[in-house]
Amino acid sequence: MIPEELKKSLQQRVATAVTAREAAVDVMKELQSHYGWLTDEAVGEAAEILGLSTLQVDELATFYEMIYRRPVGKKVIHVCDSISCWCAGFERIMEHLRKKLGVVEGQTTADGMFTVIPCCCMGICGDSPAMTVGGNFYGSVTPEKLDEILEKERKN
Amino acid sequence: MPKLTIDNIPVEVPQGTSVLEAARSVGITIPHFCYHPALAIAAACRLCAVKLLDGPVKGIQMSCSLAAQDGMVVSTTDPEAMKLRSLVIEWLMINHPHDCPVCDEGGECLLQDFTIAGGHGRRRYQGNKRTHMNQYLGEGIYHEMNRCIQCYRCVRFYQEYAGGTDFGVMGSAGRVYFGRFEEGQLESPLSGNLVDICPTGVFTDKTGRFRARYWDYQFSPAVCQHCSVGCNTSPQAFHRELIKIVGRRNDNVNGWFICDRGRFDKEYLNTPLRPRDPMVDGTPCEYEEALAALAARVADLAKVHGPESIVIAGSPRLSLEGALMLTELAEHLKGATLSFYAGPAESEVSLGAVKLLNEQNAATVRDLEGADCVVLYELDLIEEGAMLVPAVRKAAVRGGQVYLVSSGQRTLSKPLPFAYRQVASLDEVIIEGGAKGVVICGAAPRPAEEMAQIASLGAKLMLLQPGPNGFAVGTVALESRAVPLSEVLSSGKVKALLAFEAELPDRLPEGVTLLACADWRASDLAKGAAVFLPTTTWIESDGTAVNFEGRAQHFQRSFKAGLPLKGLDPKYYQHQSPAPLHPPRVPHGEIPGGKERDCWKVVAQLIEKMGGGSMAEPLTGKWGALRDLDPEGGGIRVFGLRDR
Repeated sequence: MIPEELKKSLQQRVATAVTAREAAVDVMKELQSHYGWLTDEAVGEAAEILGLSTLQVDELATFYEMIYRRPVGKKVIHVCDSISCWCAGFERIMEHLRKKLGVVEGQTTADGMFTVIPCCCMGICGDSPAMTVGGNFYGSVTPEKLDEILEKERKN
Repeated sequence: MPKLTIDNIPVEVPQGTSVLEAARSVGITIPHFCYHPALAIAAACRLCAVKLLDGPVKGIQMSCSLAAQDGMVVSTTDPEAMKLRSLVIEWLMINHPHDCPVCDEGGECLLQDFTIAGGHGRRRYQGNKRTHMNQYLGEGIYHEMNRCIQCYRCVRFYQEYAGGTDFGVMGSAGRVYFGRFEEGQLESPLSGNLVDICPTGVFTDKTGRFRARYWDYQFSPAVCQHCSVGCNTSPQAFHRELIKIVGRRNDNVNGWFICDRGRFDKEYLNTPLRPRDPMVDGTPCEYEEALAALAARVADLAKVHGPESIVIAGSPRLSLEGALMLTELAEHLKGATLSFYAGPAESEVSLGAVKLLNEQNAATVRDLEGADCVVLYELDLIEEGAMLVPAVRKAAVRGGQVYLVSSGQRTLSKPLPFAYRQVASLDEVIIEGGAKGVVICGAAPRPAEEMAQIASLGAKLMLLQPGPNGFAVGTVALESRAVPLSEVLSSGKVKALLAFEAELPDRLPEGVTLLACADWRASDLAKGAAVFLPTTTWIESDGTAVNFEGRAQHFQRSFKAGLPLKGLDPKYYQHQSPAPLHPPRVPHGEIPGGKERDCWKVVAQLIEKMGGGSMAEPLTGKWGALRDLDPEGGGIRVFGLRDR
């Protein structure tokens, strides 16, 4: 159940959109930040607010990699694996992350802090290899820099 | 009209034709998966690549999404195009499980055909295949997602064509998954078409799993006899068991598809409970014996009480042949009453439609698709004519206004998959001058004044019939002045009821001493008939059906009637006592339970037994023009014949 207040603000967002579908991503992101991930319940609520079927919402939700249809840790680490970052050392970064956190792609650390997910190009190829942690962007990542980033993100 | 050259063959096609269709028109099939003539172009599979050697566009192009233009020189056999196609198939096949031996699609699989046609024969990829969990999609369809090659045909059909919202595509890239949000019965009344439209075996018919292969089937062109729309089907039978029913293309009626009822509702045809033996006073006997007994009893009764005491009853389940033959029987038993409808309401609806419709005002399905305004009058369209739903949807998507006139007596069994305005009465319907309108009426009783109002709207009409062959039977009933059965029976003068595929009342009035039934199904009353004559169904007989818009279509026998081999009682092989240790080793020509005859032939033989002439051809006089109707020719409208 989402609070009435959130529901109202989402309905307002939908009302200002040209088509309800256009507001779907915004609605899903809001619900995700409320629940932590987009639960089945949230999909149902999104469908109701958007006037779509649950399937139609799920079609969109599963398409976007930053909408999480499974529980994730407190902060999600997205590591870009598209062509520029891959050339610039994505695999090295990922390998280091695996070792450091003891998880593989898609898993969450035992303390529930981080979830590691590879992602598509974020449009910052100039700073490759690139990643985001909990929404904060980091470019030109090296294994050494990665240790510092994780330390910092764990504290904040 | 653009002129182009395809593989050195000059082709001229209408403007807007794709190169793929242009090639097909001269007999060249370019392999394709995502392309389907009934769906919008996706160009998703990349398989239909051809090379354009000269003209306005050059190089490798996708032939499904490329419109034919003047001066194009197309090669489908260019080494570069062929190499691309074989690589595309190899790539599409990477995750395919190669489970053809246990897949129901095997033998009728587009993926098999085009993989071979496209030149891919040896797997090079040795890695793991991606796998999926399947979903329960209801009792009609079995889901096997691992076989998917991501052509998007299913989702385009389901959402864009049928207007369903509960089935779609999830995920992205190599993870795309075609299914539902959660397991459960698919909601669209056209969901069964996923079986036909999937190029491989992701969706297979659950009601006919693991029974037979394509080359085992006996099948012929048939016309569905569930409602009066008259969709074209191919019933596939094996060892006298109806395994599957698939859609057959007829652009005049159903396009490529059929509804779930027409596809899955077939148990009543296979059931071992169907009456198979002719019976006289409840004792099984030979057909000739039963016919002779009936002829003798009718003659006796006519002598004592006069032929006026006899009622000959049929129903809209009869073929045109059957209905015409009943008029011959009535002619022979001069004075007997002919009846085609159980009650006056049904009769009025059917005959009213036949009287009102003519070549000009009877709407075709094409008219419906192109209408600016569609009125659904007191009608649950999904229940009464599901295959008209996509046509109305097409009109609505094009911008047509749809009204649902409902006084609230009838509720919709399922929500309609298009936008419409519900109004309480016809007065609120506005069809602007010059707009193309179509009114669809259900087979519920229609008050005369409202029918007059509908006729005055200036729209074309679709008047659904209360039975599958209502238009043919209604036409015959009108000409032969038939009387509804309940009216005849209530007169109290009836001594004999001869029912041919007729809907019987629950009980007969006092005084009826002879009941004879010829039918492929038997109510409790029919089972107790003095003479019972089993008849064949529409899949086991040849005949003509006329749909609600007056379109005569010929259907052909798919297989010889008889008990399905599956579950056959061993008594059919063990006449001796004690029972033999092995089924017989001598051939015999009899089909177990195969004594049924076509209803019109039963009537003809009865006339013969009663001393009338022999009737070898039921379609005589003006109906003779329908004798050579091509079952695959799309059908012809009968208004010209009827009014002759």
